[in-house]
Amino acid sequence: MITLKGQYYSGRWPLGTPATMNVAKREVSLTAGRISGRYSIGSLKVSPRIGRADRFIALPNGGQFMCADHVILNSLPAESPSEGFVAWLEVRWGVALAGVAIIVCMVVAGYFYGLPAAAERIAARIPIETEQALGREALAWLDKQEWFGPTNLALNKQKKILRGFDRLRSDLPLKKYYHLEFRNSSFIGPNAFALPGVTIVITDDMVKLARSQEEVLTVLAHEIGHVELRHTLRSVLQNSAVAVLAATVTSDAASLSVAVAGLPAMAAQTKYSREFEAAADDYAFRLLKQKGYSPAAFATLMERLSKNHEKVERMFAYVSTHPVTAERIERARAAAQRDR
Amino acid sequence: MLPPKLVLAFRGSAREYFRIWIVNLCLTLLTLGIFSAWAKVRKKRYFYSHTTLDGTPFQYLGQPVPILKGRVIAATAFLIYYASSHFFTFLMPYILATGAVLAPWVIVRSAAFNARYSAFRNMTFQFEGRYRDALGVLYVWGIVPVLVVGTMFSWWGQPVVAGVVFLAFGISFPWWIRRFKNFIIGHTIYGGKKGVFSATGGQFFMVYFISGLIIVAMMIITGILAATLVASIRKSQVLLSVLAVPMYAGYVLAYAYLQAHSSNLLWNNTQLGPLSFQSTLLGRGMAKLYLTNAIGIIASLGLLTPWAVMRTLKYRADNLRVLQEGELTEFFGSETSAVQAIGSEMGDFFDVDLSL
Repeated sequence: MITLKGQYYSGRWPLGTPATMNVAKREVSLTAGRISGRYSIGSLKVSPRIGRADRFIALPNGGQFMCADHVILNSLPAESPSEGFVAWLEVRWGVALAGVAIIVCMVVAGYFYGLPAAAERIAARIPIETEQALGREALAWLDKQEWFGPTNLALNKQKKILRGFDRLRSDLPLKKYYHLEFRNSSFIGPNAFALPGVTIVITDDMVKLARSQEEVLTVLAHEIGHVELRHTLRSVLQNSAVAVLAATVTSDAASLSVAVAGLPAMAAQTKYSREFEAAADDYAFRLLKQKGYSPAAFATLMERLSKNHEKVERMFAYVSTHPVTAERIERARAAAQRDR
Repeated sequence: MLPPKLVLAFRGSAREYFRIWIVNLCLTLLTLGIFSAWAKVRKKRYFYSHTTLDGTPFQYLGQPVPILKGRVIAATAFLIYYASSHFFTFLMPYILATGAVLAPWVIVRSAAFNARYSAFRNMTFQFEGRYRDALGVLYVWGIVPVLVVGTMFSWWGQPVVAGVVFLAFGISFPWWIRRFKNFIIGHTIYGGKKGVFSATGGQFFMVYFISGLIIVAMMIITGILAATLVASIRKSQVLLSVLAVPMYAGYVLAYAYLQAHSSNLLWNNTQLGPLSFQSTLLGRGMAKLYLTNAIGIIASLGLLTPWAVMRTLKYRADNLRVLQEGELTEFFGSETSAVQAIGSEMGDFFDVDLSL
């Protein structure tokens, strides 16, 4: 028989009475001041073990007995049975260390392999049509906000680029959906981007910066890469998964107003967007060579862009959305070399 | 002479909480989030059980399954919102309107869950607010509805309309917060005694106003610094990171001030039966805490998070006194407030925890 010393709370007033509980095989007996009673083990409910905190035993008379933690309490009926195993894990340092290792492995594996692979599979199952409405709305919104004005390019220049664009897309799986838009913008500068769905927008400044039709087509091929590889949808999926993951891992830190809790997620998302750029480049180089153009033209255009960028810093420059690095230019040159 | 005190203490240990935190985080990741309901229960249990008043710990009585149900509902709602904001934008106005209608219900449900599953000395808390009251509190003066409707029909194109609405919202916000706190405290019951809240909107306004002034002061300092440094520092990145320091400091100070003083305001104007409270948090104390927490957490790649949580809770508990101006027997329990009575309600479908 085990004797536990503690307090008895009747539930009538928030005042305790010093109490003693004797735990026998089938029943317990309680003495608290003038109150005494015997209860079968099965009629009790014991609060879960947590840290070194006192435990509570709810009695069938509506009263509660509180005492310091004791092993015997774990063999009585539990108030929340599913927590018993967790409590068992929580008191072991070995488990905690293994936990750290597992978390690190899961976060690293999920981030580098799991999420990108899952996003690619899911994106492949979602038809491109679901994105189209969004792309149209986005363009209409950009036009309405006067980010863009109508193009000033001569009609035959536009037609020439459109013919080249048609040639690029002629064998692609999504060819019938493509849509190329020309826009003039005073403050976006030389730029090109793929909106959700299959709308590709190129600015007049970008066309003017290019010295040849081939250079314009290299930029369009890059944007086609984004479309064919479903980068819009994949980045939405990956970035939201990263945000959820980061929020789970840093939730306690965030509740303390550690303003930097959002930073890991942002850094993680930057890496993904760089990977998408590289993948779109590779796709573009293959497509260009297949159609008889040289990726070297891309390198020349990028070099000119980054020089241009040094002169005029614009808020939404092509360079900031598509970071021009020596590495990217290098890769374009290397790709051009290979076909000779 | 001051009335007698009931000693409030927080006895959590960082080492112990570290194991609880890591085990629960690990299981949450391994189960793709399902375990997060257990994690929430375990953490809340730890906080409650290691906070003692007059030597007796508080009890958290929530169980994982109702919390899991609540999380499934919340996650579904969020997915619907997220999908419509990204892919089905034409549905947005309806979804926002549904959200606006449901919001008071969510507030009432989570306050009721929280109260019902918190206990002290075998007596649970209760929350008696109703949907109607919450509706009145949330949408009083029409400011929030105007904001929602405005977002639905994107009025923000006209700067004058947007400016007037946001100014009205900003200025009335402290009064709105007071009404909300009054709603929660005034409908919370322990041992048959309702909470009484006596802070005024003006007091809340002062707290927000001073915290706003801190931000403005830091912006001016940043501006002066920028003007003096722009000539000497060529690289724009270096300049930006130098200027980020006073901006971040301003943000932390303003936030710490807001947290400390709205907490003080809340406790110092709350009366529960014979009990009143005295909270003495300081803005600079909180700021120091936040800053050292941030440094510790970053330097340890997150491993010191439990330590930061524990010392924050301890600091808060150390600065809160509970004053007793009558007998504790003024509180009286009933059949339904006993901890043992909870089991009977578990089957209720809407007995879910919707708070996050």
